[in-house]
Amino acid sequence: MTRTVPTTPRGRAGEASTGGEPARPRPAWRDRLGRWDVRYSPYLYVAPFFVIFGIVGVFPLLYTAYVSLFDWELIDDNPSFIGLDNYVSLVADTQFWTTLVNTLSIFVLSSGPQIVIAVLLAALLNTRLRGPTAWRVGVLMPYVASLVALGIIFANLFGPNYGLVNGILEFVGLDRIDWQADRFASHVAIAIMVNWRWTGYNALIVLAAMQAIPKELHEAAMVDGAGPVRRFVSVTLPLLRPTLIFVVVTSTIGGLQIFTEPKLFDAMPGSNNGGSTNQFQTVTLYLYQSAFERQDLGYASAIAWVLFVIIILVALVNFVLTRRLATTGEGRR
Amino acid sequence: MTVFALPLRRRGSAGGGLGRARFWVYGLLTAFVLGSVFPFYWSFLVASRDSSILTEAVPPLVPGGNFFANAQRVFDTVEFWRALGNSVVVAGTVTVSTVLFSTLAGFAFAKLRFRGRNLLFVLVIATLAVPTQLGIIPLYMAMAEFGWANELQAVIVPNLVTAIGVFWMRQYTVEAVPYELIEAARVDGCSMIRVFWHVCLPAVRPAAAFLGMFTFMTSWNDFLWPLVALNAENPTVQVALEKLQSGYYVDYSLVLAGTTLATVPILIVFIVLGRQIVAGIMQGAVKG
Amino acid sequence: MRHQRRPVLALTALLSATTLVMTACGGSGESDSADGRIELTISTFGEFGYDELFAEYERDNPGIRIIHHKTGQGGPYHEALFTKLGAGSGLDDVVAVEEGHLSDVLASSSRFQDLADIGPSSVTPDRWLDWKYEAGRDKDGKLVGYGTDIGPLAMCYRKDLFEAAGLPSDPEGVKPLFADWDSYFAAGDRFVRDSGGTAWFDSAAQIFNAMQNQLPTGYLDRSDTLVVESNAAIKRNWDQVTAAVEREQSAGLVAFSNEWNSGFKSSAFATKTCPAWMLGVIEEQAGPEHAGQWAVTDAFPGGGGNWGGSYLTVPTQSDHPEEAAALAAWLTAPEQQVKAFRGGGGFPSQVEALDAPELLAATNDYFGGVADGELFAAQARKVGNAQYKGPGDGKIQETASSPALQAVEQGTAPEDGWRQFVDAATRIAG
Repeated sequence: MTRTVPTTPRGRAGEASTGGEPARPRPAWRDRLGRWDVRYSPYLYVAPFFVIFGIVGVFPLLYTAYVSLFDWELIDDNPSFIGLDNYVSLVADTQFWTTLVNTLSIFVLSSGPQIVIAVLLAALLNTRLRGPTAWRVGVLMPYVASLVALGIIFANLFGPNYGLVNGILEFVGLDRIDWQADRFASHVAIAIMVNWRWTGYNALIVLAAMQAIPKELHEAAMVDGAGPVRRFVSVTLPLLRPTLIFVVVTSTIGGLQIFTEPKLFDAMPGSNNGGSTNQFQTVTLYLYQSAFERQDLGYASAIAWVLFVIIILVALVNFVLTRRLATTGEGRR
Repeated sequence: MTVFALPLRRRGSAGGGLGRARFWVYGLLTAFVLGSVFPFYWSFLVASRDSSILTEAVPPLVPGGNFFANAQRVFDTVEFWRALGNSVVVAGTVTVSTVLFSTLAGFAFAKLRFRGRNLLFVLVIATLAVPTQLGIIPLYMAMAEFGWANELQAVIVPNLVTAIGVFWMRQYTVEAVPYELIEAARVDGCSMIRVFWHVCLPAVRPAAAFLGMFTFMTSWNDFLWPLVALNAENPTVQVALEKLQSGYYVDYSLVLAGTTLATVPILIVFIVLGRQIVAGIMQGAVKG
Repeated sequence: MRHQRRPVLALTALLSATTLVMTACGGSGESDSADGRIELTISTFGEFGYDELFAEYERDNPGIRIIHHKTGQGGPYHEALFTKLGAGSGLDDVVAVEEGHLSDVLASSSRFQDLADIGPSSVTPDRWLDWKYEAGRDKDGKLVGYGTDIGPLAMCYRKDLFEAAGLPSDPEGVKPLFADWDSYFAAGDRFVRDSGGTAWFDSAAQIFNAMQNQLPTGYLDRSDTLVVESNAAIKRNWDQVTAAVEREQSAGLVAFSNEWNSGFKSSAFATKTCPAWMLGVIEEQAGPEHAGQWAVTDAFPGGGGNWGGSYLTVPTQSDHPEEAAALAAWLTAPEQQVKAFRGGGGFPSQVEALDAPELLAATNDYFGGVADGELFAAQARKVGNAQYKGPGDGKIQETASSPALQAVEQGTAPEDGWRQFVDAATRIAG
């Protein structure tokens, strides 16, 4: 795989002005090249992704599918074929359902607020600020924070015994919360962690899209007497539709694969248990634990495939919903 | 032209969605940024003092004087500069390539018609949904088969272009690049690649800049795959810094001095690319 | 390129064919350097104290060049190790394995060389403490790893807190409290009552693991059946520990968590099960303000015990198994392990090393100048027979017993916790 560019006709660059008169006869080869260009160059442009995916993505995918049909230990000389047995046991596995519920709960607690706050934050960043770069970089900083530092800071915040949050709760006369032991409280704490890490990222995505909205549209709406809120709802939001679809689909996928935050949150360092009774173990943590701790690679692969299907389904539903919700301003230009 | 354009823009934005920021806007943003930046400041605090402040609920808020001593210990313990060089090569290559290929593919998916377009695009998104946790074993097998294990290409090639990048650039291009501009350029006799280069690329600059920031930082912070795929002679920064955590307890002032140092290059990239997220599109459009 | 015989071969071949253009078929044949020396790679984690020994070995063996791959934390290190074992390539010639992961390695001992076979014949079993040597062999007696270091257990305690609660506090006086587990928990009751509620120990799992490790077999017996329910001793230990939790002897702090670190600072508990390497942890976490308050004594309830320590293995992937085994044999000789100990490595596991003057001369200022080298050498000799640990033993501790005990500390009833433990263990073993 090399650069895709040379296949397009180089020679035409200098003679661009001739294109205005279609009636004028041109040399046939150039004509043909032009048609080839239109018809085939799109494939060249999307090719790099598929080539790379073919090299590094397809094999892992097929491998995982294949392994999921076996009773396959992580290190296994003689894996035995068991057909769909892994999938059958998965359906009956209560721990799998627990982790699925945990995942959905953390996902709902994090994604919704995150997207709303991100859009509002983007609107703030889209005003004319002094030192705009500094503000943009500022809100993106959480994503760069070292996981070591994050682990300690959130442990200091949500520690059941010595944590700052419980200290404050006690100070104002409320009960302490066992952020580790209580299932819902642990989901809230993890969702806060997720939102803290990802809101700024989503805000910058939305900001980039807001920057593409032509100002004339706002001016036109203003002439029609629309106030700032009205303009935001009826001009800005509809034009953000593709971007919002992107944000919703990617945070659905990311949210259902949530892994780092619950792992960091566990008091037991490096543990994949997701708490003493798996109260905040997510599906990906469970899948990871099955593969690398229990070393049951076949079963872990089955989890991976089932999760893949679930994600596709949920993402599809969210995609449709988002399209419906943001359809109000269909007439683009 | 410029004389007119400036006041025009200002008038337009003053009343539009891009009003001049008021005090409460600064207030809210300041709160956000303080919350965002706190862990960095805190890391720097620990790095400039010693680990004992970790267990205090409210740490002292003024840096101590140990930062340079701790930084020196980092340089003495790990091959920091070499790892930094590797990380720059890896993250730099991955960023340039991802931005270029994603923008190109995004352009094709958003604005060009070709057979199988929708199917291929759905395929791109579907690859996003594959859980990556298990991929590490077969990926390592593939890399070993190619003879890339322990070579930098083992961490570069898998990330040369990402599904999320293609998806993002496609979504952005749909809105940001008007068909009229493309048609105009085609009528002018531009080849596809020139349309891409001269029409599409300038219009999607904010999105490409964001993708660049995001890609650079993801690549820079990647840990487990580089740890597996590269041998310790040739580490990236994160792999090298991990060695600071040896022993039965962790010397956090040392570890966080390391992470603070490793954040500096990201900040530079952010500041350079962060400027690019601006409304530069319409100028290009008017010229067309 | 060595390949494990797997059903996946066909798949791999297919992929290789389709991406033929890309493949620059390399391989692991790069292990000989240009000057004709054999390159030996060795991977370790944490601190083995080997850095200067490598230079020494290269000086004595001009034909060998050593490349050391060092990872900081054990967690990611062993993850990478098992990934490469699973992938069938990429492991170094000599690979260190921690005791907690050893049962998994022994379960796939076919991927490792028998060191008794290919190692130098001068290396004999009596080089190591008996239990250390035995633990490095698989069920069929194949020697998979040479022992490096150990973590013999003693008891650490807070002198000042003991005094305040009216307990004896000098190292000799406390020994009766730590005679066996009954006396230990009885002393705990007294302490909790007279200290006004300070906990006796840090975490139930820490105590339970130590008790469990003193049993002749682990969670699985020698035929690799799960015995959690059938071995009454396990249930007895469980009942004893969880009863102590209900009597508020546990601080409920998960070991090595952030809150556990804080617990040392805020004097949340009075005793700590102490392998040799724990002294440094306590010093770091408790900090200078508690200097002289912690003490250690050469007693441990129920005799002795061990927590931690590693082995050096030679995977079958290695292209130079005999040279690799020779290096591992040399590194694990008593003289070298004493040097490694002084270079920051763990406590040596070799019989002769325990009598080495350098070891016996070691003292620890933070623990009131105690001769810790001598103390832990004595504790190492008290460890009984090697416990048989079946495949999955370490996983049962990490993902079944420890979380269930944590749940009890968080308020789950001991019987429910026991159910949780048994269920989880059954799933792992099954």
